[in-house]
Amino acid sequence: MKRTLTVCPYCGVGCTFYLVSDAGRLVGVEPSVTNPVNRGGLCVKGWNAFAFVHHPDRLTTPLIRQNGELRPASWDEALGTVVGRLRSIQERHGADAIMFASSAKATNEENYLLMKLARGVFATNNIDHCARLCHSSTVVGLAEAFGSGAMTNSISCVDRADVILVIGSNSTEQHPLIGSRILTAARSGARLIVADNRRIRLARHADLHLRHKNGSDVALLNGMMHVIIAEGLADRAFIEGRTEGYPALAESVAGWTAERAAAVTGLAPAEIIAAARLFAGGERGMIVYSMGITQHSHGVDNVRCCASLAMLTGNLGRPGTGVNPLRGQNNVQGGCDMGALPEFYSGYQKVTDQAQREKFARSWGVASLPESPGLPLTRAMDAAAEGRLAGMFIMGENPMLSDPDQAHARRALESLEFLVVQEIFLSETAALADVVLPGACYAEKEGTFTNTERRVQRVRKAVAPPGEARPDWEIICALAERAGYAGMRYPDPEAVMAEIASLTPIYGGIAYDRLDPHGVQWPCPEPGHPGTPILHLERFTRGLGRFTPADYRPPAEPPDAEFPLVLTTGRTYFHWHTGTMTRRTHLLDREERRAFVEINPADAARLDIRDRDEVLVSSRRGEVRAQARITEMVVSGVVFMPFHFAEGAANALTNNVLDDESSIPEFKVCAVRVRRAP
Amino acid sequence: MKSIPPDNLPDFFNSLSATFEVRLPIELPDGTRTLGNPGDGPIALHGGALPGKPTAAFFPQQGPVFTVAGGFVAEAPSPPRPLFVAGFTPRDLDCLRFIDRFFAEGWHDDIYFSRRRGALVAGVSGRCGPGGALLPPAGGDCDLEMVWDGCRWLIVPYSEAGLAITSELPDSAPSNALDQIRQASEALPDEEGTLIRRASRLLRADRVPDSFWAEIGERCIACTACNLACPTCTCFGVQDWRYAERVERSRMWDSCQLDGFMREASGHNPLGTEALRTRRRIHHKLAADPERWGEISCFRCGRCDAVCPTGIGIFAVAREMVDRFGSGG
Amino acid sequence: MNPSTPPAEPRTPSLYLPVECEIVAVSDLTPNEKLFRLRLPGGAVLGHLPGQFVQVSLLGWEEAPISVASSPGRGAFFELGVRRAGRLTDAMHRLKSGERVGIRGPYGRPFDLARMAGQELLLISGGCGLAPMRSLIQYCEEHPEEFGRVTMLHGARSPAEMLFRDELDAWEASARFACSRTVDRVTDGERYNGGVGLVTALIPPLELDPARTVAVIVGPPVMYRAVIAELRKKGLGPERIVVSLERQMRCGVGKCGHCTIEHLYCCQDGPVFWLDEIEHMRGAL
Repeated sequence: MKRTLTVCPYCGVGCTFYLVSDAGRLVGVEPSVTNPVNRGGLCVKGWNAFAFVHHPDRLTTPLIRQNGELRPASWDEALGTVVGRLRSIQERHGADAIMFASSAKATNEENYLLMKLARGVFATNNIDHCARLCHSSTVVGLAEAFGSGAMTNSISCVDRADVILVIGSNSTEQHPLIGSRILTAARSGARLIVADNRRIRLARHADLHLRHKNGSDVALLNGMMHVIIAEGLADRAFIEGRTEGYPALAESVAGWTAERAAAVTGLAPAEIIAAARLFAGGERGMIVYSMGITQHSHGVDNVRCCASLAMLTGNLGRPGTGVNPLRGQNNVQGGCDMGALPEFYSGYQKVTDQAQREKFARSWGVASLPESPGLPLTRAMDAAAEGRLAGMFIMGENPMLSDPDQAHARRALESLEFLVVQEIFLSETAALADVVLPGACYAEKEGTFTNTERRVQRVRKAVAPPGEARPDWEIICALAERAGYAGMRYPDPEAVMAEIASLTPIYGGIAYDRLDPHGVQWPCPEPGHPGTPILHLERFTRGLGRFTPADYRPPAEPPDAEFPLVLTTGRTYFHWHTGTMTRRTHLLDREERRAFVEINPADAARLDIRDRDEVLVSSRRGEVRAQARITEMVVSGVVFMPFHFAEGAANALTNNVLDDESSIPEFKVCAVRVRRAP
Repeated sequence: MKSIPPDNLPDFFNSLSATFEVRLPIELPDGTRTLGNPGDGPIALHGGALPGKPTAAFFPQQGPVFTVAGGFVAEAPSPPRPLFVAGFTPRDLDCLRFIDRFFAEGWHDDIYFSRRRGALVAGVSGRCGPGGALLPPAGGDCDLEMVWDGCRWLIVPYSEAGLAITSELPDSAPSNALDQIRQASEALPDEEGTLIRRASRLLRADRVPDSFWAEIGERCIACTACNLACPTCTCFGVQDWRYAERVERSRMWDSCQLDGFMREASGHNPLGTEALRTRRRIHHKLAADPERWGEISCFRCGRCDAVCPTGIGIFAVAREMVDRFGSGG
Repeated sequence: MNPSTPPAEPRTPSLYLPVECEIVAVSDLTPNEKLFRLRLPGGAVLGHLPGQFVQVSLLGWEEAPISVASSPGRGAFFELGVRRAGRLTDAMHRLKSGERVGIRGPYGRPFDLARMAGQELLLISGGCGLAPMRSLIQYCEEHPEEFGRVTMLHGARSPAEMLFRDELDAWEASARFACSRTVDRVTDGERYNGGVGLVTALIPPLELDPARTVAVIVGPPVMYRAVIAELRKKGLGPERIVVSLERQMRCGVGKCGHCTIEHLYCCQDGPVFWLDEIEHMRGAL
């Protein structure tokens, strides 16, 4: 009986638990009672996080495609093939003909190493990861407003807030140990505003539930800001002392009367006025948001408005306040921090900055590093589909299910000359690969994850990987070695972190011996620094907070006569993204075993669809089969589908239209029709 | 009176390791307490109930049912040596007694008893509760009781096996040490017991409306921790894993708070609403089990209240029930 | 109560270890239902009573409870009517004669034949509920002296979804039974010569002696309330109505907790209940 303290591999909350193992097999989970993040609790996924690890479907050996079939291969052959084929593509098409997709499921060390491999060894800035699909608009929008794209406050701040605005976040399902804190805060007297047109659990505990139209967040937030200014509820001292650009904002929202905002959002003017007064009336107002804000063709504008609302009411730099994007993946914060992004090295140091390039080149022992920003993941898929990209290395990501417009994603991946997928299961994407490299899962390796509140925590090995599977960091280093680069020889991930700390100011004081028991929150610039639970205390990272007005733009594909319903996509509580792990977890799989679509009873009646009927959902891009779930959870005119299910893939329907500034796809709005399956 | 000074505890447990598979409360690196192996962390007998249920030593979160390979069947293995499990509080011992009965009566659950049979159980009591609080006496529901009197562990063997393993210990404590603790603990209030009995009466008199359960259900995020932490929750699911060369059947803790728990292949679900599931969790302990087994099966260990992220453990719900619907006469 | 009797001593091998049975015959009942005829090793007798179930086990697909569809009097085999409804039953439908399945049991409380003796029986089944009912019907065939008049009512969704059509024909032709069948709907061109409508509609015209009749209901969950209401109008009390309930038992032996109805375990105290034992319990019907 052995217990290994580690971090949950699912969402960005970063709950820690002990994996219980017996004779090399995981047999259970025991939550950490002392971690301030989860305080002894876990959600259902966490309680079952051990249960997929030894699944018979785990990849145990490298695979190489031969005559159209994947066959087992040795590591030697697989690594040689990967390096040889990628190099060959670069020789023929240039360094930027290949793309690296890193992984928000992998550790900080692994993200850093893949970034180093792409830039230092393969000389391309074409590296990105799934943050592109979830919070790239946050990184752009909050960096512009505050100088840092991360959650401003700490999870524990929920307990201190006296008014909480939750907009576009189904927190009790997607960040359960934060959602439950919000629920508890609301029951203990904090005022709660939920802006989300699904009737999520938090909405049932809210003082105000705003069911505004999908994609009308800018109008709603501008309307609220208009009321706050008009009624003299703004925090003048904060605006004057801490911000710039206020006059432009004031001018921009001057026309957004409650009536005009109501007309766009479908709410009553009184609801917008009430929300504005309630939020501005709080002493400590907190904004919590997630994909409902970010995944729009105007995602950055949505983020800007959240930032502006917080500055307008002086709700930054204090406990119980802040703009708090809840990061999706266990290590999506870390993936960004480590520079698995086309324009940044680790710590958001720009690749376009010559001094930074020289610093990294010197440290890595390479003559030069590429200068221009690389391709964002979503643009890379477009490039692949158009034949402008020939090779792709994907570590722990499943774009066949997670990217918008599945037909487009398939076309992109199939157009590639060479595709490598490093995975723990043979995902839908891995099944298309030319080489599959078997990785170790979170329970089988050492490293760190950074949670949504910037807390860097230790991940520890509890059991050995199956068969010949190896930790991602070892595979990446072996690839570098194969490519003739001697600068990636590390005894362990701890040595990688030492290198990260030496090059990354916000991680400057991060070292493994400092991370016990419950991690450190960056920025942690030097050894001995206590870490930073709340950002922007005295001043913003960029100096003054910057207001940037945003005007309302409708979603790219509004419903029409042919496709009369709005489809919004998301996740369920029991599954994680493309289901590779949770659909192989007995209890989680049992809960949600098949694709479904939520339909409002009024729409269902009109379409002659009964609960549990088989239906076909179609958009301009595709058609999928799902089971109808007739529910008041969704408003009339809107249907909801989770994207977990390969056999009823919501992303066969979604619209691959991207936000100009952040390249995030509009997962949250597209037009569909629904009919009973024949 | 036999006793062990705290400094000698490691030696005592180590001396048992030759004969037993020893599990005892230890402190893990972040301060969380658990049932572990001797030497895997500082001994942590103090602090009251462990956060995880100690009955997991006999009924783990996941464990084998059997393995089939090459036409041969291997049943769930028994531990190489009998278990010695220390750290059951008196209330935990009540739970253990209850599930021993549950697994034994009717069809005899041989997988549970493959770990439970021959195992020795040591209760802890005295002034070793949270912050030095006094725990009630364990009585005879264990093989031996370890009673903290403030400076040493008084050792009270009850069974033959308990006598045997403690026979070498010195009679180093004053003979009245135990009586003093026992007298003090007799005066302990049992507010939770009163509360739970009142709530049970309300439920059995059917005085709690469905709307109450709907309200509590709205606060439940279905994390299942209440069930997984509860020592008298014994529900399990069954899973088969088919490897190239073998099939493993295992069973794992399940939860009645999940929609799929009773959902049938047809889609029919007798526990198909949050309200019904929330009711079942409480009703089962306070009304159904008294009907079937003759006793309330919540022994007030407090784990579900400690672990619930939204504050709807059984004490909290019972308190709300009693406040709103009376004491049940 | 008359639960299935566990052995006094812990048994070896494990309680949870299935016994491998050979499939000696498979036949299609409907497009979604098959009848499996199984034989225990060495031709041993299962030893069940009408109304009991077995845990069917397929390695890789776990287990599911399935009622025995044949009476004990049919020799060294027993039959299971299996509707394709989930992963295990899908896998089972792919099996052929000569292949093997695991069986544990028989489990559960059977029909209370002693209390039904000498009574007139009204057997009401819906859909695949006819499979468990068939064990009782066959028993009645084999023991005509034990019961008074036996009336059978069976409802299916459509003629194609009706199980045991040949046997229904034979029971209809037999002097032993009064037999009526009905379907919810008939598709144009389908050959069918029974009634159309819900099975509940067959009850009002019956002439019942409520003091001498026991009604037995086996069917999909939606059927029970409606049928019981009709029976009550006929003066039948809950102590004269028998129901057999479907639950998702994982173990069959009262341990896994998936089949409880308040304090009862459907796998032990049921699946056959007298209505007065459970009608007041939430979630029973």
